[in-house]
Amino acid sequence: MASKRDKDGRYPETKILSKNFGVKDSWTLKVAKKNGAYKNLEKALKMAPADIIEEVKTSRVRGRGGAGFPTGVKWGFVPTESDKPKYLVLNADESEPGTFKDRYLMELDPHLVLEGCLICAYACGLSTIYIYVRGEYPKSQERLWGAIEEARKAGILGKSVMGSDFACEAYVHTGAGAYICGEETGMLESLEGKRGHPRIKPPFPAVEGAFGCPTVINNVETLAHVPCIIENGGQWFADMGIQPDPDNPRAMGSSGTKLMGLSGDIKTPGVWEFEFGITLRELIEQYGEGALDGRKVKAVIPGGLSMPVLTADELDVPMGFDALVKVGSGLGTATAIVMDDSRDMVEVCENIAHFFADESCGQCTPCREGCHWMEKIFARIQGGEGTPADLDLLERLFINIEGRTICALADAAVWPLRSIIRKFRHEFLAKMPGHEDAPASTETAGVGAS
Amino acid sequence: MIPPTNSAPPVAVQFPPKELKKECEDILSRYPTRMAACLPILLLAQKHYDNWVSPEVEAGVAEYLGVSDSHIRGLLTFYAMYNAKPAGRHEVWVCRTLTCMLRGAGKLRDTALGCAKAKTTGEVGEDGKFLVKDMECLGLCEVAPAVFVDGEAHVDVTPEKLTELMEACD
Ligand SMILES: Cc1cc2nc3c(=O)[nH]c(=O)nc-3n(C[C@H](O)[C@H](O)[C@H](O)COP(=O)(O)O)c2cc1C
Ligand code: SF4
Ligand code: FES
Repeated sequence: MASKRDKDGRYPETKILSKNFGVKDSWTLKVAKKNGAYKNLEKALKMAPADIIEEVKTSRVRGRGGAGFPTGVKWGFVPTESDKPKYLVLNADESEPGTFKDRYLMELDPHLVLEGCLICAYACGLSTIYIYVRGEYPKSQERLWGAIEEARKAGILGKSVMGSDFACEAYVHTGAGAYICGEETGMLESLEGKRGHPRIKPPFPAVEGAFGCPTVINNVETLAHVPCIIENGGQWFADMGIQPDPDNPRAMGSSGTKLMGLSGDIKTPGVWEFEFGITLRELIEQYGEGALDGRKVKAVIPGGLSMPVLTADELDVPMGFDALVKVGSGLGTATAIVMDDSRDMVEVCENIAHFFADESCGQCTPCREGCHWMEKIFARIQGGEGTPADLDLLERLFINIEGRTICALADAAVWPLRSIIRKFRHEFLAKMPGHEDAPASTETAGVGAS
Repeated sequence: MIPPTNSAPPVAVQFPPKELKKECEDILSRYPTRMAACLPILLLAQKHYDNWVSPEVEAGVAEYLGVSDSHIRGLLTFYAMYNAKPAGRHEVWVCRTLTCMLRGAGKLRDTALGCAKAKTTGEVGEDGKFLVKDMECLGLCEVAPAVFVDGEAHVDVTPEKLTELMEACD
């Protein structure tokens, strides 16, 4: 495969989702239409629904909400022979820490988001779209409502979508501040007016989702990809990015482009769109312009808060679903949090553990109790009252939390914390009376997230 | 926070008040069940009644939506954006999550508490003016640290800027 770098070694941006981000008044229907909005919906409405799903399968687009599930396959699970109403719930909760990419799409190109939703709804036979936007995104809510109203007036939404016999309504549903409502079944409970308690699966939402009816749940960015797949074909999308590994059926590849971001200890934080394949180091050095003056990058969580941390010498990994798993981490939301050499990793762990303890919905004992215990242990170590036995205790806690709960929030708590105490063990020991002289090298500490 | 069990049950307010009637009906029309309107209607009610949901408002909303008082109470205690006790005249959210912490949120929290004359977050300050809340990631990490004052986002906030913002509240 030809290298995507230019002659100066720079990995170029590819603006497909983000092509209108710099356009004046990009969120209005008038400007959006001038830039081609809804012409792909018009094209899709002339296609057979099954052919659209086939095209999306061919594209190999994988969910951008964090889990990376193949979108076309998910759409294929919706039962066609069901006389119940069917719903689309767009996951616009974006409460994963360090993540702000969907906000750009909703604020700057809400018509693209709506067009993606409508194509999905038409392909899967869904009659109502609920856009679940977190309460902390007032501007996204405003822009989406504005787009919905404009679209309704223009006959793009409603009883006859663009003059076809397809009818579809769309509403923004506002969250009220709870991370767990980003988990798809927690989101459904919240949409139904309850506490956001994730459900035990199966049944899967495609069969029994919102209000007991078949429901497709997708991330904002995932559906924003759909119009260009209809425009150029699934194969065009599949040809971009990282190809699947023919020898490993689990390595499904990372097709298309992805919004990626940087925040934390970095000179230029922000969000950019790339064809999959840029390495984490290139992202940090070429787009983030590296660490602040006089500082060095020490640790990076590649996507959100919920993934294992990578150290400064592990950054030459392509930002892709399979490549990051291979090095013991994960793509997550592809918005990396960077920490430099001035950072105290015990303090970082205390902060992370507090987040998960705060946001646990409380249904499962290992998560509800475990996250609080972890926070307390980190606080104890931070207060100079820890002993090496605390690190063993944490390891045992991790084993008793991971994989033993209803949803993945508990796993998401374990992954960053375990990787940090394994890779930066010396920093923890250095705070323990009598163990301050622990070796500073990460090698001796048994590197490796599992 | 939860009223003592031996007190008389709250007298429900008449909900919705006429100013909110149309909006409430509009919200209800979007969902197949009345319960589904709980979250948006509670946000609306909170905004209308001095930024908190009293036991009387709770009972009024419960009656209107055909759910139990305790269902509403369960929502108020679960979601960070609801206030189940008096919330002061202004509400300040300080993000405490990792990126904001790296970018100086700890100082902002202290500054906010100082301006609010409050000992801790989640409690209204001495003069009843401010409620400062610790919030988890507000999705503004590329322009961290982030703060909301009365529902409006402020980014790249310094202690000086936050002091100015809070002093400008009446
Ligand atoms: C604790 C937790 C929080 C989540 N938060 C979000 C979120 O804020 N936004 C999102 O799109 N997906 C989130 N997800 C993933 C969703 O459960 C789900 O996989 C996703 O919405 C599916 O859409 P996709 O296939 O298009 O990615 C979260 C998952 C978990 C376990
Ligand atoms: S793992 Fe945690 S957040 Fe998920 S359902 Fe269980 S208690 Fe709730
Ligand atoms: S961590 Fe504060 S806005 Fe994201």
